[in-house]
Amino acid sequence: MMIDPSHCTGCRSCEMACSLYHEGVCSPALSRLRIIKYEALGKSYPSVCTQCGKPLCLSACPHEAIERDERTGALIVNENLCTGCRSCLVVCPQMGFDPTKMVAFKCDLCGGDPQCARFCPSGAILFTSADSFSMARRRAAADRAQLVQPPLQVV
Amino acid sequence: MTYGWTGRRLRVDLSSGRSRVEEIDPAYMKKWLGGRGFNSELLYREVGPDIDPLGPDNLLIFGVGPLTGTFAPSSGRSTVTARSPLSGGFGDSNMGGHWGPELKFAGYDQLVVEGTASSPVYLWIDDEQVEIRDAAAVWGRKVPQADAMIKEELGSEEIHTALIGPAGEKLVRYACILNDVYRAAARCGMGAVMGSKKLKAIAVRGSNPVKIAHPEEFYRICAQARESLHQDLMAQMLRDQGTWLLTMPANYEQGWFCWHNFQKGFHPDARKLSGEEHRDKFLSHREGCFACPISCGRFSRIKEGQYAGEITGGPEYETLTGIGPRIGLLDMDKVVHNNKLVNELGLDSCSCGGAIAWAMECWQRGLLTEEDTGGLVLEWGDQETITRLMEMIANREGFGDLLAEGSSRAAKILGRGAEYSISVKGHDMSQDDPRGLGFAFGIGFATGRRGGDHLQGLPCLELTGSFYPGLVERILGTREAEERLSPAKKPEMERYSEDLKAVGDSLTQCTFTHSWSFAVQPEDMAAMLAAATGIELSSDEMLQIGARIVQLERAYWNRLLVGRLEDKSPRRFTEEPMPDGPNKGTVFPEAELIPLYYDVRGWDRETGFPREEILIELGLEGVAIDLKPYRIEYQEKVHRAANPL
Repeated sequence: MMIDPSHCTGCRSCEMACSLYHEGVCSPALSRLRIIKYEALGKSYPSVCTQCGKPLCLSACPHEAIERDERTGALIVNENLCTGCRSCLVVCPQMGFDPTKMVAFKCDLCGGDPQCARFCPSGAILFTSADSFSMARRRAAADRAQLVQPPLQVV
Repeated sequence: MTYGWTGRRLRVDLSSGRSRVEEIDPAYMKKWLGGRGFNSELLYREVGPDIDPLGPDNLLIFGVGPLTGTFAPSSGRSTVTARSPLSGGFGDSNMGGHWGPELKFAGYDQLVVEGTASSPVYLWIDDEQVEIRDAAAVWGRKVPQADAMIKEELGSEEIHTALIGPAGEKLVRYACILNDVYRAAARCGMGAVMGSKKLKAIAVRGSNPVKIAHPEEFYRICAQARESLHQDLMAQMLRDQGTWLLTMPANYEQGWFCWHNFQKGFHPDARKLSGEEHRDKFLSHREGCFACPISCGRFSRIKEGQYAGEITGGPEYETLTGIGPRIGLLDMDKVVHNNKLVNELGLDSCSCGGAIAWAMECWQRGLLTEEDTGGLVLEWGDQETITRLMEMIANREGFGDLLAEGSSRAAKILGRGAEYSISVKGHDMSQDDPRGLGFAFGIGFATGRRGGDHLQGLPCLELTGSFYPGLVERILGTREAEERLSPAKKPEMERYSEDLKAVGDSLTQCTFTHSWSFAVQPEDMAAMLAAATGIELSSDEMLQIGARIVQLERAYWNRLLVGRLEDKSPRRFTEEPMPDGPNKGTVFPEAELIPLYYDVRGWDRETGFPREEILIELGLEGVAIDLKPYRIEYQEKVHRAANPL
């Protein structure tokens, strides 16, 4: 999962898609990702688990309730093992907590088709490899550079 | 179990300091849908003709609908309703942003503010906890500062505020309410009603889910609607240029550019305010309302000149023209700066522009002099005077005190210049001229529930309908209606658009998804409603609810003895042919179209009141009985007008 905050319009379609997909309700509080908003500046920042390589949530869990899905690479909370102790919330801000089920929740990449990326209307949330993401940004930078220099001509 | 709706109405009485929650009956939900429908019904029932708009008995009602705060595209809007201090009649105003969904997540479909606080307060709603808090420290502050101070005091940034600026506190009759700093419920003076209650702000935080009756079906329908909007040309243009995209066609192709208070519909240099110009030189970034895949909202940054470095939300087309060409400005940096200023002060840019434009035209014609203005010289486009006037209006200072009454009242107080107040029923026109924009729009301006107002129906079928092959013909039976300045089927078009808009405002779903872009059709809205709530309605049944809302809002005016005689466009639109531009010579054929519209709407041609049988057909038997004495009294008024002594 890659994030380009400069494209985020702060519409929070992602939060709605996420909570509807996972919980069958529409609720920012149950969404696996959240949009951080700075209203006075109109700026928004998608905050989402990147399924990092050295996951603190996994290390912190005393009940081994967080495991990695080998197929998608997602770190997943096993609700049967989770006791709701919230150790994971202490070490990582990307964890959420469901006060009804009394278990922690986090992004599970929707089994390989992340709904947030699918419904992001502005390209701020992308489900792509880090290499493709960087290359797209490198190309965008190169495109901008072309604007201030004479464009290359293919003869 | 209630799905979609929360089924709860929160009432807060600022006089006693008490609040209570009422259950909303499922039959009521089905009859009025939510948002605007709920609000209009409550206003009609509880705010009668004797209640002072700025007194403690007026209600300030905030409403959201069954789709608010869901995955349905562009469903984040909310409606604010009260008796209007500007027109004296029905008042409501619709706002985007994220405040409405937050109210829903806090657990309420409707918030009703009653009474008046004895000293400035703000309201803090945190799910079940409702608290009236002292606002002495924020009273007098401009909108962005007040927002920041309240968030700091409550110790959280994850709060959404709806608040007023100095203009609302000073009871400027067209003060607005802003949420998320830059999203305005601008029209009808809702901010003045809030100010009269000494209520600076409503801060909301919610943690509850919106329950969905059929989640998988709802997901499927919303995903489809989102895909339609993604593919849709009009939605793409809105995404690319925002509502600024209107400038070029409005001026060069259609000639309704409101130059100098609508004296002209065309200016050769209008392209200085074009959407491309804004996107390329002023656009900082885009900013979306809740759950909106279009995200037409803009943030602007001024890079050069006296205002270099300023960053601000907006402006939208109506604002950029209201405080731009309507008062003689074509420089984008000045327009963007003025937009920032009116938002911070809490003024409606349409009525503020309307009042300043009225004064400038009176000056142009020698009806106002330095003696009246306290030494101000009111030349068109004089930026220094304009910004000075905006501050003076918001603070009701000097000549600004007169303009704070709105152009229509100001002309009455002054005793001259009434013909240059471009307003209907005391409510200033938005920056739209039926001599170019279109005749269905013109019908809405003359007869609208708020007074001069493009959002009565937003009948974009005559503006963008032709981009959708077969659409206009399917709805109205003829392609002729696609022609903006043809009278063909325009009463029917306006009626259809009004009913649909009332449904959209009640669900709530942004008008741009179903009228401007037509990617979302009434059938899709009915399907979303059914999946979200479990209540199945055909699109016709849904449009009938829209018609019920429109008729009730009309009855609100009728009870104030306002009807056919007051359904009058500004004289400029009906008697002064457009002097130049692409539709030179056009006037709005009001005398021809209004009676036809009455027939289509089921209104009596003599009085302009809804006929009893149409009210009964729509389940408004009580309203039919209410109107009986007013109908007789209004007939006498009509006779007196026809036979003056």
